[in-house]
Amino acid sequence: MAQARLDRRENITGWVFIAPALILLGLFMIYPIVWSLWMSFQVGKGMNLSFGGFANILRLTKDPVFLRALGNTFTFFIFQVPIMIVLALLFAVALNDSTLKFRGFFRTAIFLPCATSLIAYSTVFKSMFAIDGVVNQTLMQLHLIGEPISWLGDPFWAKVLIIMAITWRWTGYNMIFYLAALQNIDRSIYEAARIDGVPAWARFRYLTIPMLKPVILFTTVISTIGTLQLFDEVANFTAGTGGPSDSTLTLSLYIYNLTFKFMPSFGYSATVSWVIVVLVGILSFLQFLIARDRRTS
Amino acid sequence: MSSLKLTDVRKTYGKLEVIKGVNLEIKSKEFVVFVGPSGCGKSTLLRMIAGLEHITAGDLEIGGQRMNDVDPSKRGIAMVFQSYALYPHMTVRENMGFALRFAGVAKEQIARQVDDAARILALGPLLDRLPKQLSGGQRQRVAIGRAIVRNPQVFLFDEPLSNLDAELRVHMRIEIARLHKELQTTIIYVTHDQVEAMTLADTIVVLRDGIIEQVGAPLDLYDDPANQFVAGFIGSPQMNFLAAVVTEKTAAGTTVALPNHGGVRLTLPVTGGSVGDKVVLGVRAEHFGLPGAGDADLTLNIDVAEHLGSTSYVYANAGGEALVIEREESRHEASSETITVSISSGKAYLFDSKGARLR
Amino acid sequence: MTVSSMTTTVDRAVAQSRVPANPWGLVRRALVYVLLSLAAFVSIFPFYWMVVGATNTSADIIKGKSSLGSALITNATAFFTQVDAVRIFWNSGVIAVVATVLTLAISSLAGYGFEMFRSRVRERIFGFLLLLLSIPFAAMMVPLFVMFSQAKLVNTFAAVILPTVASIFIIFYFRQTTKAFPTELRDAARIDGLKEWQIFLYVYLPVMRSTYAAATIIVFMANWNNYLWPLVVLQTAENKTITLILSGLTAAYTPDYGLILFGTVLATLPTLVIFFLLQRRFVEGMLGAVK
Repeated sequence: MAQARLDRRENITGWVFIAPALILLGLFMIYPIVWSLWMSFQVGKGMNLSFGGFANILRLTKDPVFLRALGNTFTFFIFQVPIMIVLALLFAVALNDSTLKFRGFFRTAIFLPCATSLIAYSTVFKSMFAIDGVVNQTLMQLHLIGEPISWLGDPFWAKVLIIMAITWRWTGYNMIFYLAALQNIDRSIYEAARIDGVPAWARFRYLTIPMLKPVILFTTVISTIGTLQLFDEVANFTAGTGGPSDSTLTLSLYIYNLTFKFMPSFGYSATVSWVIVVLVGILSFLQFLIARDRRTS
Repeated sequence: MSSLKLTDVRKTYGKLEVIKGVNLEIKSKEFVVFVGPSGCGKSTLLRMIAGLEHITAGDLEIGGQRMNDVDPSKRGIAMVFQSYALYPHMTVRENMGFALRFAGVAKEQIARQVDDAARILALGPLLDRLPKQLSGGQRQRVAIGRAIVRNPQVFLFDEPLSNLDAELRVHMRIEIARLHKELQTTIIYVTHDQVEAMTLADTIVVLRDGIIEQVGAPLDLYDDPANQFVAGFIGSPQMNFLAAVVTEKTAAGTTVALPNHGGVRLTLPVTGGSVGDKVVLGVRAEHFGLPGAGDADLTLNIDVAEHLGSTSYVYANAGGEALVIEREESRHEASSETITVSISSGKAYLFDSKGARLR
Repeated sequence: MTVSSMTTTVDRAVAQSRVPANPWGLVRRALVYVLLSLAAFVSIFPFYWMVVGATNTSADIIKGKSSLGSALITNATAFFTQVDAVRIFWNSGVIAVVATVLTLAISSLAGYGFEMFRSRVRERIFGFLLLLLSIPFAAMMVPLFVMFSQAKLVNTFAAVILPTVASIFIIFYFRQTTKAFPTELRDAARIDGLKEWQIFLYVYLPVMRSTYAAATIIVFMANWNNYLWPLVVLQTAENKTITLILSGLTAAYTPDYGLILFGTVLATLPTLVIFFLLQRRFVEGMLGAVK
């Protein structure tokens, strides 16, 4: 049906309903964003700013710490998001089988991690992954490793730990989205496919995946944004340093350090934050491009 | 109880006009049914009367008062929705008394009115249940009860039976007819089902593309349709339409030939039309007679015969034209290949090429 | 064939179809259980570890002791002497509850408004808001901080709460779920004489309980766990949240894990309680959002 044209009174009512949100968003989101965009062209220390044109952007290209943070953030994104999405999908499909026993238990268990507080899980992980901790002990008893891994001291393993921790926390969250979407799919589609002799893997590949595409895209974009803004985990695992030797420093942590730890340089830190905006924009666009239905394009 | 008047009522969405000037007067206590194919504007028209859609142009009067800009709750109307629209978090009792609560009616008064309505609809034992604990038919009765409680001048029904199964639909149809007798109110009822329209209405309003095609009593529409659209829409099975050409005009009427049936001729007591015009001859399924009993005989090839016991429908064709014939005694015709039927000129209709009735 | 004999035949057919047709099916089924059990173990173990850790000394924890210890009282005493627990939990609670109530109110109003009163201008605005969703918090953190310090609101709860209250994600979520709200219910309420705000309060809100429950979990957890912005804006110890305090304790050169894990158990309890209370509605609410 054609979109109903509202009469004047209804139109005003519509504005009244959204007005509080719009005012707050304008004040605490849009205004700061515009300000930070302007700030990103300013140079100087503290509040002593002056217009610097593209000076900050030039500084980015010569700043080894920034490049390091950029690389780290990208590494986290490349490994963490796909692993988590695939795991979440697998669990969701497995749990969607109504003949499965203990479904409720499995679902709650896998979803439980996202109900913890950030600080709780980073502390728990830190203590579990201590050099003589329970994880290293278990791995050595299973003869998977010969000597304990320095999870927090080794640049490589520190990254692995961060990726494992985020995956642990957010897989169940994403799984719930897929489960909800799967339950909306008409079961008779699968029954028809079985009668047509379509094997299980093909039902997954050619029925489930295409029908879940919108949700997968949604969760991927949300996860991309989350990973590119990664701050909490890194800050807590490394006591805010991004160590060892900047190996887990992310862009958000660098922005925080530039603003509140070092001699504050608001202009430059604003520039770094806009790097994240641009990255999220590009990656989201690419994801939409990949997910776009080839037949309709 | 109140009369209702629509004067050149129009509705446009941007450039799209969906109600194109409706004039209609509804008498007090009348049961009026708006009927038409989907998209004809019947529901929009009802929602405009209810105040749920803005009236772009024209006037709406209820009980002699202009109601265009009056709030829905103050028009003296009550509405029963297709999906019943019961508030799922409230009991039947709360659902029925909800409007009165917001009209500032005293609690005891609300209770009394709800009880009265519940008695009329035999809802007493259900009053403390939630909608999800009721069957489809019970929900429908609660929706009607909610409307009754408000003691409206005009009841509006928006396809109220379309979510019920066939058996329940017949039952509720009878219940609504009984209710109208008992309450003596004006009812406007929207449906796409012409059987509902025929059985319930005092007056049927046939709508198409936002304009009224014909207004009249059910049997008047059936016996004397104003045009080919109404003739085809009212009646089941649908009226048969045969291609025809006017060949002669005499004092006795207009003579037409049927090219798909070997040019057989038939003279109708009609003055309209001129020689050479391409016209349409309309014949209802039950008006085909036995061979030789009418004014012209047609021989058709049988496709299928459906025997329902008391009657049979024979689907037949000739010259690419498919026809339905109703027969009361015709079980043997299943075995034969052809059927010969007659048309009586007094029981046939003539329409011009634009669908208007020739009289 | 009678109805009952038909259903038994159907039941039997269904039962047979559940039995995997070939040995591969059995293997696959076993693999599914192994995979899920492993996932469940990995998911739950840290919780077990956290509880057990609260009863062990820091030295035992670092050595990987994963059985109940006897240091619970010591840890508790240490925690309560080092942390003004009542105050800190009060801070966290006030911030999370006030922020959750305000966020639900303002964002659900907006979601309802965008969906129920559609107009071209508002559709444009909504699209624009979705674009803003991709801008990281880091990008507005500095100006926000300057704004709040100019308004002399740094180190207040208002500064923590205000920027989180209009959440684009929650507005989006409410708009999506509102699509499933039957418009005929709104029409019926209008004919019953309710004003638009009354329809929202007396019809929409109770009907959408599941949606609100799901949003409550999401928003409460986000606020209870919020870290970066409170870290920036809350400066004195007596105003800090439990998240900030525990984070501070963890950052010590030799953190006392027994004490911290004890505090962690306390800090996790509210979110777990809310989660288990609202879990069923949460899943219902999520279902509504994806439809």
